[in-house]
Amino acid sequence: MKINMKKFADWFDDRLALTPIFKYMTHKEVPQHEHSIWYYTGSSILLFLFIQIITGIMLALYYQPTLEGATSSIERIMTELPLGWLVRSVHSWTATFMIAFVMIHLLAIWFTKSYRKPREATWMTGMMLLVVSMMFGFTGYLLPWDDLSLAATKVGTNIPAAIPVVGKWVTQFLRGGDDVTGDTLTRFFIFHVCLMPLIIFAVLAVHILLVQKEGMSVPLKDELAKKKVPSLPFWPNFVLREVVIWLLLFGILLTISLAFAPSLGPTADLMAPAPEGVKPEWYFLFLFQTLKIFPANMGPVTGEFVAVLIIVITVVIIFFLPFIDNKPETKKGKVFTYLGVIGVVYAIVFSIWSLL
Amino acid sequence: MRLDNPYFTRRKFLNSLLGGWLGAVAASFISPIVKFVWPPYKEPDEVKLVFADYSGMQPGEVKNFVWGVKPGLLKRAQDGSFIAMVGVCTHLDCNVQWMPDKKQFFCACHDGWYDENGTNIAGPPPKPLRRLETSVEGEDLFVRKPGVGATT
Amino acid sequence: MRKTRILFCLVTASLVLGPFAAAAPQAGTSQDKAQIEAAVSGQNPPAQEAKPAPLPPAAKKPAAKKAEVKRTEPIVPAYSGIKERMAVIVFFFWLWFAIAVLIYFLRLWIKEADRVYWAKYYEPEESPRKDNPMAPVLGD
Repeated sequence: MKINMKKFADWFDDRLALTPIFKYMTHKEVPQHEHSIWYYTGSSILLFLFIQIITGIMLALYYQPTLEGATSSIERIMTELPLGWLVRSVHSWTATFMIAFVMIHLLAIWFTKSYRKPREATWMTGMMLLVVSMMFGFTGYLLPWDDLSLAATKVGTNIPAAIPVVGKWVTQFLRGGDDVTGDTLTRFFIFHVCLMPLIIFAVLAVHILLVQKEGMSVPLKDELAKKKVPSLPFWPNFVLREVVIWLLLFGILLTISLAFAPSLGPTADLMAPAPEGVKPEWYFLFLFQTLKIFPANMGPVTGEFVAVLIIVITVVIIFFLPFIDNKPETKKGKVFTYLGVIGVVYAIVFSIWSLL
Repeated sequence: MRLDNPYFTRRKFLNSLLGGWLGAVAASFISPIVKFVWPPYKEPDEVKLVFADYSGMQPGEVKNFVWGVKPGLLKRAQDGSFIAMVGVCTHLDCNVQWMPDKKQFFCACHDGWYDENGTNIAGPPPKPLRRLETSVEGEDLFVRKPGVGATT
Repeated sequence: MRKTRILFCLVTASLVLGPFAAAAPQAGTSQDKAQIEAAVSGQNPPAQEAKPAPLPPAAKKPAAKKAEVKRTEPIVPAYSGIKERMAVIVFFFWLWFAIAVLIYFLRLWIKEADRVYWAKYYEPEESPRKDNPMAPVLGD
């Protein structure tokens, strides 16, 4: 008995009327030019997010988010459960890859100036996604509850306290009190597993919808010259190419996870002094170093306050970049390109400096 | 040889190649995920108890021991030997309790009753309490799954 | 054509069965890659001691101390035997072989899709074959 797929699709279509959406998607076209390669970064991030969800659920089946159970449950995952060490390794490395690709994606959009009209909202939702991804990384880093992650979290949750008026409340909200305790661990787990996923799905839906609605951007000079850029259909041509990229990335990810599985440090001790070599994950290193170079006291305020202020102002400026760089074809636009280069150099130099 | 009007087109061939491969690769990745998600915990094959704790039991007395994550029941028979049972009701897995005055095991969940040897006598339980083998070796009292020989 | 089909079946079978063969030595061991280097003497052995029944005449053994497992040594992932190391290496090569095969097929499919697109198969009106009454129509 052959099931007629068309009848099946028609049943849904009569009730949901999704056919216009599919028709629209089949007509989506992807421009082909010298910078087309950066189009692959967005879907790669989706691939990594998908892997994180799968491995995250698998880990969460056995992980216990309490002071007593956290590190021993991860011990159990790594030693007793079949291939548990690999699941944890993949989850840890995919986090690194995902945030790296988010940054590459941001830089690609920056240097091609794809945030210009009409894609300002896409840029802003993208910035929100960047912040949420880094929050994922930050909350996840505490969950093994070993000595390094405890120290990193103590430092990290102390930083908002430098903000006047609301800073202390923010720190108390993050920590579940004034200090980092078992409550912080449980709270971070809920952030990581419930709150952040909801936020990222909502913002991601808007981001992707906007991308589909506005279409793919073309390089600035082609747009100015009103040149018709040759394009490929999204389905199936571009999707097939994306699948090739996904396979390669997946292979690289698995290889690195197999070869460089992360270890688990000694159990965190709330009474013990901070261990040597405390540092956050690599994507926070440049911020960490920025905080370190400010002196303890600068006039009436702490150096930390000045540093946090500068960082927050910079993030806000970058958030509103499409409105600041509203004439990208002029000299002002070139200034922002150079600022982007300076930003990248700053981040790399400071990250390396913090490791020395 | 080239057919003039092939039924099996190149497109279909490519589709089935790729689809088949993707299916095979996906299936082989599902297997480790399944192994991880389905819990590997098993019941123990044997449990070693300290005989001194139980040597003073009177005939007809029932004591508890730990069988993995379930309660075990140890009863001293009239002739001095031990009967070991898994103290879990065969109906829907609630733990049973010993009622010394009635000399019966009672399951509070759905009013199931077992006699002093574990046979189900009243209520919904379909089978008697699961038996385990005991053996005293020196200072140790071993409780084993039936059929499992000594592993020491 | 027939030879290709046989080759295809053989390679598929080996590639599907490969990971199971590699996983088999792992399935036997209950302990996987990571090894506990910590001294676990502070930890109680899995509960195999008698827990006294809550009955009046029972002689109570002192209740098992709730040990605080404060692990002081890091757990570093390591192979527990040559079999595990070989399993991982076999899996590594199988993974890249499978990816290479998949990418080979995808390239064929991409070329096909591109060829169809450039030949304007889906827009017969714009195709150079629009004047040819013998040209096949969509939906073969």
